Amino acid sequence: MYRIIVLALIAVFFLTTASAQDENMDISCYHCHLAQVNEFRASIHFNKNTCADCHGGDINISGTVVSINVMHTNFTGIPSPINVTNFCSKCHENETRVYEESIHWQRLNEGRTSASCTDCHGIHNILSSKNPNSSTYSANVPGTCAKCHENQTKMQALYYGIRTDRFDTYKKSFHYKSYESGGRLLAVCSDCHENHDTTQASDPKSAINPANLPSTCGKSGCHPGANNVFIYGGKIHEEQSVYLLSLDAKRLVTYFYILMILFELTFTIGLIFLGITSNFEIRRRN
Amino acid sequence: MVELKFKRFTLNQRIQHIIFFTSFILLAYTGFPLKFPEEWWSRWMIESVGGFDNRTFIHHFSGLAMIGVSIYHVVYHILEKPRYDIIFNLKDLEDFRQQIRYYLRYSDEHPKFGRYTWKQKFEYFGAGFGAVIMGFTGLLMWQPFEAMKYFPIGFVQIANLFHTWEAVLASIAVFIGHIYDEHFGKFPNLSWLTGNIPEEEMRHEHPVEYEEAMKSQKIVNPENMEHKENKNILIVGFAKLVFTILFLAICIWMLWISYSVLTEAVKTFMVR
Repeated sequence: MYRIIVLALIAVFFLTTASAQDENMDISCYHCHLAQVNEFRASIHFNKNTCADCHGGDINISGTVVSINVMHTNFTGIPSPINVTNFCSKCHENETRVYEESIHWQRLNEGRTSASCTDCHGIHNILSSKNPNSSTYSANVPGTCAKCHENQTKMQALYYGIRTDRFDTYKKSFHYKSYESGGRLLAVCSDCHENHDTTQASDPKSAINPANLPSTCGKSGCHPGANNVFIYGGKIHEEQSVYLLSLDAKRLVTYFYILMILFELTFTIGLIFLGITSNFEIRRRN
Repeated sequence: MVELKFKRFTLNQRIQHIIFFTSFILLAYTGFPLKFPEEWWSRWMIESVGGFDNRTFIHHFSGLAMIGVSIYHVVYHILEKPRYDIIFNLKDLEDFRQQIRYYLRYSDEHPKFGRYTWKQKFEYFGAGFGAVIMGFTGLLMWQPFEAMKYFPIGFVQIANLFHTWEAVLASIAVFIGHIYDEHFGKFPNLSWLTGNIPEEEMRHEHPVEYEEAMKSQKIVNPENMEHKENKNILIVGFAKLVFTILFLAICIWMLWISYSVLTEAVKTFMVR
């Protein structure tokens, strides 16, 4: 009997100190889901939301009780992308409404795999887009989009005609090179394609629809006054071919210069080499 | 001992050359880091001019200087008494053939060059066409949205392509070809500063011109007769060492640049 009381006291001591460490609401999940809760504690939602806000279940039940009790009400372990959108919309109404215009949501609704809130913003570790560590911080946006859009298997598996070289071709633009070289941060993916309501170019409402390009490029911080420009003829990301007057100019110029440079290199270095050897020859003869 | 000196470049030409090559070096120095932003030397070079915005400013400014000196050069040719010795002729073809024969030991006779060798003519016209291409494409890319009021966006993209390729082409020609022929082989060649070349070099490099000049006594400038200085072998030797190291480093850099530009093009256009 004495022994049991001591054990019980020790147990109570440990449990109370454990719960006294933190008076936050996530405590009942903390005992098992350490990594997730730690991630969550660093996120912007900490102190504003609890685990239950997204996962359901009853947070007020003591964590010491087996977790089946926590989960006895509408608990969801890993929510489906559509569920994610639903529970984000509880607070982020406007953002969700805008997101539901996007091609990502359309595809999700068709029952295909596509990006929902958490694919871009992160899951437990959501940060403000003004935080430099955030996946939605401007400078990190290309990497965040490239996570899926550069992934050949992913893009092939759900092939909608999406090219996987978009990040590579973006890397060749001044927009990327400036920041990469330590200069100002210029346009990233979301500046032209929009973030929440990104749509395909064929959509007449899309920011990258050829008809809307002048206004997209002509945003006040970017290229103001880009109204009457010949921008709709071209494809911004196109790497392999640019057609001018039905001529594949890019290919022609590249082939021409490859030949020129090979010719010039062989010629210059060859003549230097021949000059040196003939000089040796003359010296040897003298 | 008195050494004859021959006038090769006028002060006007020398100033044009100095402006041209200074802007060329600055353009290459501030341009190539932008082509390869992820390389270690790229960051280093951009920081050495004080950041990305400075880099852009220097590039634009020296571009304008190069355009200016190129336009001035055309005006200069129109205003000056026209000269035709820079234009290609049949003798250059013969000289070229003879030089290759000489190099490959088919002949013992080195071609006898006039005032400008066939290589120098190539470099001159190469620089001319290069400046035109770089100037136009550079202006298109400087203000793309101004340019797009008159040309479709495809032109700007092609201008970008031309600008890169032509830069590589011109840099190989200048940093490897021109520097080797005119400054490394004839070190220390100070004719770009003084405008004069010594008699021995004249006789050796431009024998036809030398003979004509000695016959007519026109080009020989008695004012330029000077006492041959006792050159300090140590200083010249050290300068040559430094110059050689710099030249080799730039050669390797140029070869790396042309290699990566070529492989990138092959990857983009041929493999896929």
